[in-house]
Formats: sequence, C-alpha cells, structure tokens
Amino acid sequence: MLRQVDTTDRPPAGAARFDIAREDLDERTCVIAVGGDLDLSSAPQLKWMLLDALEEGHGRLVLDLSRATFMDSTALGVMIGVNRSLSLGARLAIAGARHNVLNIFELSGMDGAFAMFGTLEEALAYVRGDAAEDR
Amino acid sequence: MRALTVASRTSERQAPSRLHSGMAAAVLLACCALLLVAAPIAVARTSHPGHSQQGGDPSQTPPVAAPAAPAPVTAPVPAPVPVAPQPTQAEGGGRHGAGRESPAGSPRQRHAGARQQAAAQATTTAGQGTAAADQSTSSQPQVATEQGPGTSSASPDSALGSQTTRKEERERRNKEARERHKEETTRRKEAKKGGHTGESGQPGEEGSSSPEQVAEDTQGVSALATPPPSSPVATIASSSSSQVPVAASTPSVAGVSQQAVDGQRTRAARRPRASRAPDRAAKARVLTAAAAALAAPVRTLRTTAHTGPVRGIGGGSRVTKKPTKSSPLVTTITKIVGVVPTPIRILIAALAALALALAVRSRFSAARARRLERQRGQLLEDVGLLQAALLPVAPERLGPVGTSAAYKPADGPGAGGDFYDVFALEDGQLAVIVGDVSGHGRHALPHTALLRFTLRAYLEAGLSPRDAVQTAGAVLDRQLGGQFATVVAATYNPRERLLVYACAGHPAPVVLGARPDAGAIEPVTASSSPPIGVGMRTGIRQTTVSVPGRAQVCFYTDGVTEARVGTELFGAERLRGTLAELGTGASAVAVLDSVVERADAHPDDMAACLLRVEGGEDPPELILEELELDRDSAGSRRTERFLLACGVERDELAEVIHAARAAAGRDGTAVLECNHAQVAPHVTLRREHLRYLHVPQTEVEVSR
Repeated sequence: MLRQVDTTDRPPAGAARFDIAREDLDERTCVIAVGGDLDLSSAPQLKWMLLDALEEGHGRLVLDLSRATFMDSTALGVMIGVNRSLSLGARLAIAGARHNVLNIFELSGMDGAFAMFGTLEEALAYVRGDAAEDR
Repeated sequence: MRALTVASRTSERQAPSRLHSGMAAAVLLACCALLLVAAPIAVARTSHPGHSQQGGDPSQTPPVAAPAAPAPVTAPVPAPVPVAPQPTQAEGGGRHGAGRESPAGSPRQRHAGARQQAAAQATTTAGQGTAAADQSTSSQPQVATEQGPGTSSASPDSALGSQTTRKEERERRNKEARERHKEETTRRKEAKKGGHTGESGQPGEEGSSSPEQVAEDTQGVSALATPPPSSPVATIASSSSSQVPVAASTPSVAGVSQQAVDGQRTRAARRPRASRAPDRAAKARVLTAAAAALAAPVRTLRTTAHTGPVRGIGGGSRVTKKPTKSSPLVTTITKIVGVVPTPIRILIAALAALALALAVRSRFSAARARRLERQRGQLLEDVGLLQAALLPVAPERLGPVGTSAAYKPADGPGAGGDFYDVFALEDGQLAVIVGDVSGHGRHALPHTALLRFTLRAYLEAGLSPRDAVQTAGAVLDRQLGGQFATVVAATYNPRERLLVYACAGHPAPVVLGARPDAGAIEPVTASSSPPIGVGMRTGIRQTTVSVPGRAQVCFYTDGVTEARVGTELFGAERLRGTLAELGTGASAVAVLDSVVERADAHPDDMAACLLRVEGGEDPPELILEELELDRDSAGSRRTERFLLACGVERDELAEVIHAARAAAGRDGTAVLECNHAQVAPHVTLRREHLRYLHVPQTEVEVSR
C-alpha cells in the first residue's frame, strides 16, 4: 500500500511514453495514432480523442495501434465503450496491432468485437465500406 | 493505511478548533496585557486618594447608614431657625478671619465660654457647609444622627436662655455634653472597629473631617476653602452619587457644632492628614466621584434640587448603603475601571467579546470534530461490514483442498471492482468465482455484488461453469449500467480430480503441478469468451483439467498480472514463478504480498484465490478445451485459431470446420471439444442441448 502511495507522486511509467495524434483524412474519416503504453493513465486521453472525433462527425474512425507497445484492460474498456456507442453507419477499425496488444484482445475475447486489420490501408478500406471485415 | 488516513483527517479537523482556542487565548492575553498596562496608570492616579479613602470606603459606612434614620426628624426643625442667619456672617468671618483666632460675634458663643471655639467652629462649619456643600454633605447624616437629639435641644436653649438661667443652663449643657461625649466615644469605638468614620470613598469624608479641622486650626478652613476650583465637579459627582443636597448641610450644622466639640480630641489624629494634602484630597474626590459615577447608576441633580433636606438625607443614607456590600477587590477594580480611558475600555470590551466568540467557536468546532470522528468510525465499521459481505473470508479447507483468498484494493479502504468467492457445492465439489468489474472503488460495488451472487446461485443450482457464465452474461448484459465485467467461474471435483473453469474476458487460472518444470500448461486463449456486459454472447469457452497429482490452482484478476515491474508487466510468467517459490505452503495472501513486494506499482485492484490440491508427483493434464459455435462463428478465423492453438493440423482444419458449420447450421449451436492431452489432439463435435434459464438473444435456438 505504501509503495502505491509513493508511486503516485511520480508520473506513471506509461505516461511518459505515450503519445496520441489525430489526422483527419477527409470530413468523415480520421485516423488516431497511438504510441507507447495505453494504460490506466493514458486511457482517458484516448477516450476523449475518440469521442471528440465522433462528435465532430467523423463516422469513419481508424485506431492505429502500430506504435502501441502495451495495452491494459482499462484501455480495452475505453475501446469497448466507444465501439458500443457508435451510431448507425459509423465504423471503428483497429489497425496494425502488435502481438502483445493482439493478445490482450484475444485473451479478453474482444478480438471478435472489433474490426481488426494488419495494415492501415485495410482498415481505411473497411471504414470506407470498400472491404469486407476481416474476422 | 486506513488508520493513517483516519489520523491525518482527525488532525486536520481538530486544527481549526485548536486555532480558535489559541486565538481566544491570545485575545485574552491581549486583554490581560491591556489591563496590566491600564492598572498601573489607574493605581498611580488613585494612589493618593486611595490612601485616604480605602480605609473609609467599606468600613466607615455602616455606622453612618444605620443611625441615619432618625436624622431627618431632628435635623430640619431646629437648624434653620438659629443657624440660618449665621452662615452668611460665619462664612464671611470664617473666611476672612480664618487667619485669626476668631471669636465669632454670635451671642451663643459668648455664653458658651469655654466652648467658644467650638461655637466658632460650628458657625464656620455652617458657613463652610453652605460654601462647600459637597464636603459636608455625606458627613451630615452621620453628624446629624449622632448629635441630632442633642442639637435639637441645645440650639434653642442657647438662643433663648441667655440671661436668666445661664448657670443652670451651662451646668445642664455640661452634663449633656459629658453624656454625649460618652456616647460619642463609644460610638467612635464601635465605628473604629469597622474602620474609620466618614464616608465611603465619597468626597464627604473630607467634609466630615473638615468641620473639626476648621475648629482646630485655620489652616483647615483654608484647606477646605481651596477646593473650590475642583469643587463643582466634586459637587456634581457627589450629589449625583449620594443625592445629598446642599441644603441638607444646613440643618445638621447645629449638630456638627456639638460634635465638633465633643469629638474634637478623638479625631485629632486624623485631621492633619487631610489638611496636609488638600489638593490630593480634591483630586481623589474627583476621581472617586468619577468612579462612583461610573460604577453606580447615575442619579441626576434634578432630584437633589427638588427634594428637601429630609429627602436629601434619606437619599444620602440610601446611597451610602451601596458600597457597604462591595468588597475591597470590587472597589479597586471599580476604581481601575474608572480611570481606564474610554477608547481602551472599548478596545478591551471588543477584545473580550472577540475572545468569548472565539472560545465559543472553538468549543463548537471541537464538539463537531468529536461528532465527525464518531461518525467516521461508524462509517468505517459499516464499510468494513459491507466489505466483509462482498469479500467473504475463504474457508481454510474445503474437503481435501486447501483454499485461500486475498484482496488488495488499489486505493483506500473497502472493496473495489474485484470480487471473489470460494464455497462448497452440495455434491462435494467446491466452486470458485473471481471477477473484475470495469471501473474501480465504490461505484463498482453494486455490480460486483450482483455478479457474484448471480454466478454463485447458478453454480449452486448445478450449472457447469460455462453454462453459469453464459446464463449470467445473458441475464446481466444490460444490468451493469454500461460497465462490463470479466469473470472466471470454476468447480473442482475432488473424487475425479477434475478442475473445470470458464472465463469471460478473464485470464485463465494458473495451474501448476508438483514439478513446475514438467507440467507447465499453457491455456488456450484463442477465441476466448468476451466479458459480461459488452453486448456479446459470452460463456462460449470452458476448460477441463485433470489434476492427478499435487497442484496449485491460482485464480487472479488482471490487477496482478498488470502490476508494473519497471517498465514491464508483472505477467503470468512471474506469477507462476512466485507460486513455485512459495511452494506447498502458498496462500493467496502470500501471493499478493509477493506481487506487491516484487512490483513497483499496482495501479489496479488485485484479488487472488488459491486452491491447493494434495497428491503425488503426477503432472496435471489438460484434457479438454470446449468452444461453442453458432452459425456465424463456426466458419470464422477465430475457430481456426482455436483449433490451431489446440494442436489441430492445418490440413485437418478444413474438415473440422466444415463439420462444425454444418452442425451449427442445423442446430443453431455446436460444441467443439478438443482434447489435447495426448500427442495427437482428439477433436469431437457434439450437439449441444443447452437449457437456458433466460434466453434474451434470439439467435440461440433450442434444438429440436
């Protein structure tokens, strides 16, 4: 318990190694790229980034996890929540997840809940409705 | 941690009350300091008059007050007649002839002979009584009462029987005088017992000595004559306080003359003091009058003016009673208060009020702090009870299996999002539930309780872990308020030594044999069940493990494996290592303690349940992995991955999947059983006849 109190004073391990960027490809399509650790401390940023994009009318969302090194259950919870809140016609695709991140999806049984693609191009094609979902 | 929190909050709450009391004390100290500053000033200013007055204040009044009653009867009647003409003459004579040994021109004095001086004194006093009324006012009652009867008879005598019965008269008067003298001396003695004669702190005290003084020496007259500059003030003050009118002095003068003669010697000792320091006396009168004015309710001069001598004397006697009751301390304080300047007095009053307010506030806040502390203790107790209800104490042993459970919340007291349960089933099996609701702390509590008791009920009803999870998932999917939960439900059959568990988005338990190096079983994670509450069909996977030998089965939440070691996760591999290190004596508490010790941080709640199965050296065998398929999932990549993970060869995949799709298409659902304990995995496809307790999802069809 004391250890935990001590660590709250310094920034969590993942916080320093996390970055998130958003790129709007067109008025409906946008790519959110995440680098570093997606954990308890960085999950809220991801949440608001995704929700803001949806609110601004970007119904085609691609989450690029190719630079994400780690993802925990909190970040997964954020994605689950956003995925459930998608309105009709809106799509969320996850692109380029690494092995350990894919493991989290698989272990939690959520690999079937998201449209997951190996490359960004595949994901973009899916959200634009050009390609079939890769399950 | 909890205790620490309590202590710190207590000190925080008590701080303001301490502050208030400290402030109150400071303000009180300031008050005291001000008083200390003011007191010496007051003492310095009252020291001289205080000397002459202090003795007289409380003690001299009683004899005055008591005999004052008869005075009004005697005094007014005779006095105005004989003495009234004299004052004017006497005043002039008294003042002008102050330097000489003045035998005044009144006939009475000629007859008086030896008592000429006394007569002169009387007249002088009479004159002076009118001139400086204030000085004699308060002494009048005393003098009048003492000498009242004597004067009433003596003054007419002296006026009338001057030529005929002079001798007789003289003798008679001598006699009377002697008697009076005796009376007088006894009274004096009595009076001296209580103190000195005179008035209490009133300027009249000086007045009482003044007549005698005048008779004794002329200096006394001048001494009494000098006060006029200050006398107006003294007059106002004394009259306002004692109400004795100027006129009241007149009637009593007759008595004074007699008293002056008789009490001349007895009072001789006191005279020089007053005569030596007339200025001081005057000052003292002013000060004490001011003090009396402040201390006593102010009485106006109006009443004095309108009331006659009778009333005046009565009033005087009434007032003189007042100081009788006050102690020297009170008098001193009254004097000090009288001298303290008004701004300082206001300041002291304000400070005192502030101190009082602060003291009251500190008292209130202290009481509030105590009450809050009590409430907090009560709440912690309640939270502890609720926590105990949500996080039950695991029995040490259920049949042949040693059990233990532990929980470490990420923050604060009480249960959070993790939950567990270990309990025995009717048929001799035991059941374990471990779960984690998304979100942490108290907000997750209702959902953890709901999930735990729902799953427990299904398991106790005889459902297999997968069925229990699937049914709970179907029932509770929309009851978690947007949150989701991961759970693992398990049963252990001691007779068959079979462990059956089903996960929903939850990590599989670590199953560790007697020889960790030999029997490390990698759970098949492909095509896992999703969590409860994400709107997906869950409870599609179940694993059955045979545990022929000694083994440890550790159920945990992801808070354990997601604890941080440097930049890495603690992970399932470290958990296995920890279990192996702890050996057969391991308990859930020891496991979590070890995790906390080895990890740098654990930002999430951690829960663990540990089963210790006794037995030989035989390694655990993974017997069976189950995957339930429906029409959609039968041909998906997830099914492929599952089969590959179970060791099915690629060239066999197509055949298996084809059969599965056909079965699922026909029956709606089909179950793939893959026993990969053997070298060559054995895959069976069986028709599933699930008896759902609740079927909200229409795609599930009950088989024909």
